[in-house]
Amino acid sequence: MLRTLAQRLVQAVIVLAGVMLLIFVMLRIVPGNPVETLMGEHANQETISRVSEEMGLDQPLHIQFFRYLSSALQGDFGTSFTLGKPVSRLLRSAFVNTLILALFAALFAWIIGIGCGVLAAVTKNRLPDRIFTGFSLLGISLPVFMAAMFLQYVFAFRLHWLPISGADSWTGFILPGIALGWNSAGQIAQMTRVTLLETLQEDYIDTALAKGLSPARTVVRHALRNAMLPVLTMMAIQLSGLLSGAVITETVFSLNGLGRLMVQAISGRDIPLLQGTALFTTGIVILGSLAADCLYAVLDPRIRKGG
Amino acid sequence: MKKWLSLLLVLALFLGSAAAESVEPGLLRAAVRYDISTMDVAETTDNYLIPLNVMDRLFETRLVDGKAQVLNSLAADYSVSEDGRTYRFTLRDGVVFSNGSPLTASDVQFSFERLLKVGRQNTDIPLEIEGGEALLKGEADSLKGFQVEDDTRFTITLTEPNAGFTAELSSPAMSIVDAETMAQVTGFGKVPADTIGSGPYIVTEWVANDHYTLVQNERYWGPEPSVKKVIIRVEPDAGTQNLKFQSGELDLIDLESLDSAIVASVYKTGMADRIVSTPRVGVIFMMMNEENEFLKDVRVRRAIGMAVNVDAVIQGVFMGDAIREKGIIPTGIWGHNDALEGFAYDPEGARKLLAEAGYADGQIHFEISMDTSSSTAVQLICASVSQNLEAVGIRAEIVSYEHSAWLAHRGTGKMDSFMATWSMDYNDPANVMYTFFGSEANSKGRSLNYADTDIIHRVAAARAIVDDAARMQEYQALEEKLIQEDAAWIPLCTNLHLYCMGDRVASFAPHWAGFSDFYAADVVLK
Repeated sequence: MLRTLAQRLVQAVIVLAGVMLLIFVMLRIVPGNPVETLMGEHANQETISRVSEEMGLDQPLHIQFFRYLSSALQGDFGTSFTLGKPVSRLLRSAFVNTLILALFAALFAWIIGIGCGVLAAVTKNRLPDRIFTGFSLLGISLPVFMAAMFLQYVFAFRLHWLPISGADSWTGFILPGIALGWNSAGQIAQMTRVTLLETLQEDYIDTALAKGLSPARTVVRHALRNAMLPVLTMMAIQLSGLLSGAVITETVFSLNGLGRLMVQAISGRDIPLLQGTALFTTGIVILGSLAADCLYAVLDPRIRKGG
Repeated sequence: MKKWLSLLLVLALFLGSAAAESVEPGLLRAAVRYDISTMDVAETTDNYLIPLNVMDRLFETRLVDGKAQVLNSLAADYSVSEDGRTYRFTLRDGVVFSNGSPLTASDVQFSFERLLKVGRQNTDIPLEIEGGEALLKGEADSLKGFQVEDDTRFTITLTEPNAGFTAELSSPAMSIVDAETMAQVTGFGKVPADTIGSGPYIVTEWVANDHYTLVQNERYWGPEPSVKKVIIRVEPDAGTQNLKFQSGELDLIDLESLDSAIVASVYKTGMADRIVSTPRVGVIFMMMNEENEFLKDVRVRRAIGMAVNVDAVIQGVFMGDAIREKGIIPTGIWGHNDALEGFAYDPEGARKLLAEAGYADGQIHFEISMDTSSSTAVQLICASVSQNLEAVGIRAEIVSYEHSAWLAHRGTGKMDSFMATWSMDYNDPANVMYTFFGSEANSKGRSLNYADTDIIHRVAAARAIVDDAARMQEYQALEEKLIQEDAAWIPLCTNLHLYCMGDRVASFAPHWAGFSDFYAADVVLK
């Protein structure tokens, strides 16, 4: 188990270093001078040269890379060209919002997804199954922006139950959380239904029922526990995806999160911010997949013992 | 079950009550789609909302009876030497910055020199002052042409006469900062507490990508504004802004970012009496490279001017909320020529002209390079113009470029053509004429490659004509030559910038040039 974990950690470091190098090179080979983009119409050559020097962009590429690498290792990702603030501080404040949003979305997706999946499985081929399966299909196929706009219009604009946008209080995360979790809920419901139906065919379920255990208790305590393994893996991967930012949801609900920060970095050719956000989100995805592997190993003794 | 229902009801009531808050008297709530990147004019050419409200300038351009006029602000008085190079200013008495420090001639000198010493943007205007070039290159410590006589009097000597200098000084770029404060703080332009000015408001809060707050400056020298506090939220989604305005959570909405169908169906029908507008003083135009194998022929360029259906653009893209432009100097700017003929829409005439030039069989093809960061309107206009040209046998293919790549491509001087908007920074024709046609470098740097060097020299020299009437006559003659004879620029239109006022607002005067940035003091609350 520990060996696997160590191997995965080494792999994660290699992937991060690769992503760092790739982003660094790509941002410098695409056409266009970031300083000229930043300066706009009015800049003269003297100012462009001075600013390039201030930003260290006049140095050879390898020196720029090693400077960036050594600063990044100390947690300093530079200063954003367009926002003029330290990238690490911008990432921190955006990540707080993204984290809360992701937790709301995940909570919604887990409760609704697992609930619907279980109800659909235990009522297989009957009306509730069709309704819940339909609901999960809707979740998977409905675009996030449509869900966001619908929820915003109905619950905030018409009913005035929740804020239209903004993160002034925790209530501001409810609608974006539902909009963002909608799709994940659909996927979890489908997966839960399929795996639970498979588990319900197992002999030990019949044994439990024959021993007089109530059907509800059998499903919850025996079948669901075993059926959850692939669902949990999916949930962990989904969570890492949610944590790496959600551009559309953050935009519609005016939340200052990682997704919006990244779009801002791309549109302004903001090299330090783009490198920082890309590296940070890559790190989150790697950690998410690492967590999923660990979870799998913890829950399934066969994997744990197999090393 | 009953218990759960009751709990849900209580929760709904709680949430509902949280959403409906009472509004603080004197508060103005507005929204922008994109956050500012700085509050310092030395770092930006477009984030002017804070400088306009927190800082003052020697002059301000304002609309008086519908016409833009340059009015004295911090400058109480000024005189110009006979040769038009030396300006002598007297500052208004008793002006202090929001921290109580007096505003003196040395602060003005410091502000102008700072743009050249550490500024990343807006170096053009101080460069006109004698010694500007040396200061920019680090060969001098101060502006030779800036002489301080005492706390309120100073003279500025320009390298060459410029009759539009006071108009230039009204540009937000020329905001005055406190030299004393600047020596003590490190976060000017980034940290609200460090960003001191003498204007009607103080910036107290800036939460990146979320909101910023302004409060009334009790030490302001001018009239007391009706708005005592301003909260500007960053709402990137125009649809969300629309819902917030309609639910009474915003007092002012910029209709430019909304879908034109929503503006027409919701605002122009239900709230027409609350809409205020001003032309975006600037021109949407088409630029053509005179070194392109087809576009070097003036008959081809003129045919393009005749093939473009500007009225269809005004109706289709702007739902009628635009003014047709026929020249380079836009409507509302001093020197604008109403009598200019421009290009009448005449596709048949365009076809004949192309045949005369030897291109009757659709041989002409070139690229319209589209900047992906340009407004939706400009992108739609690219499509519309491309279709118009197709109809007269010209293949103009739209190719999209990311902003940096677009700038780099244009800078090589090899871009075939493009569509863009030029917004005026100050009320003087030089702002647009000199930028595009004032030097060979300016012309090449914008992929225009205008060939007539005599005209280029005349455009540069026009800035120095001291007599206003003679200067206007020269600009208009040059404009006529550039448009009617050389077809060097295809003018399309200027769109109106529409705002809608909420229930709490009695009146609002948008920025004279139609900027999205506005003076909060120009909002009067009920």
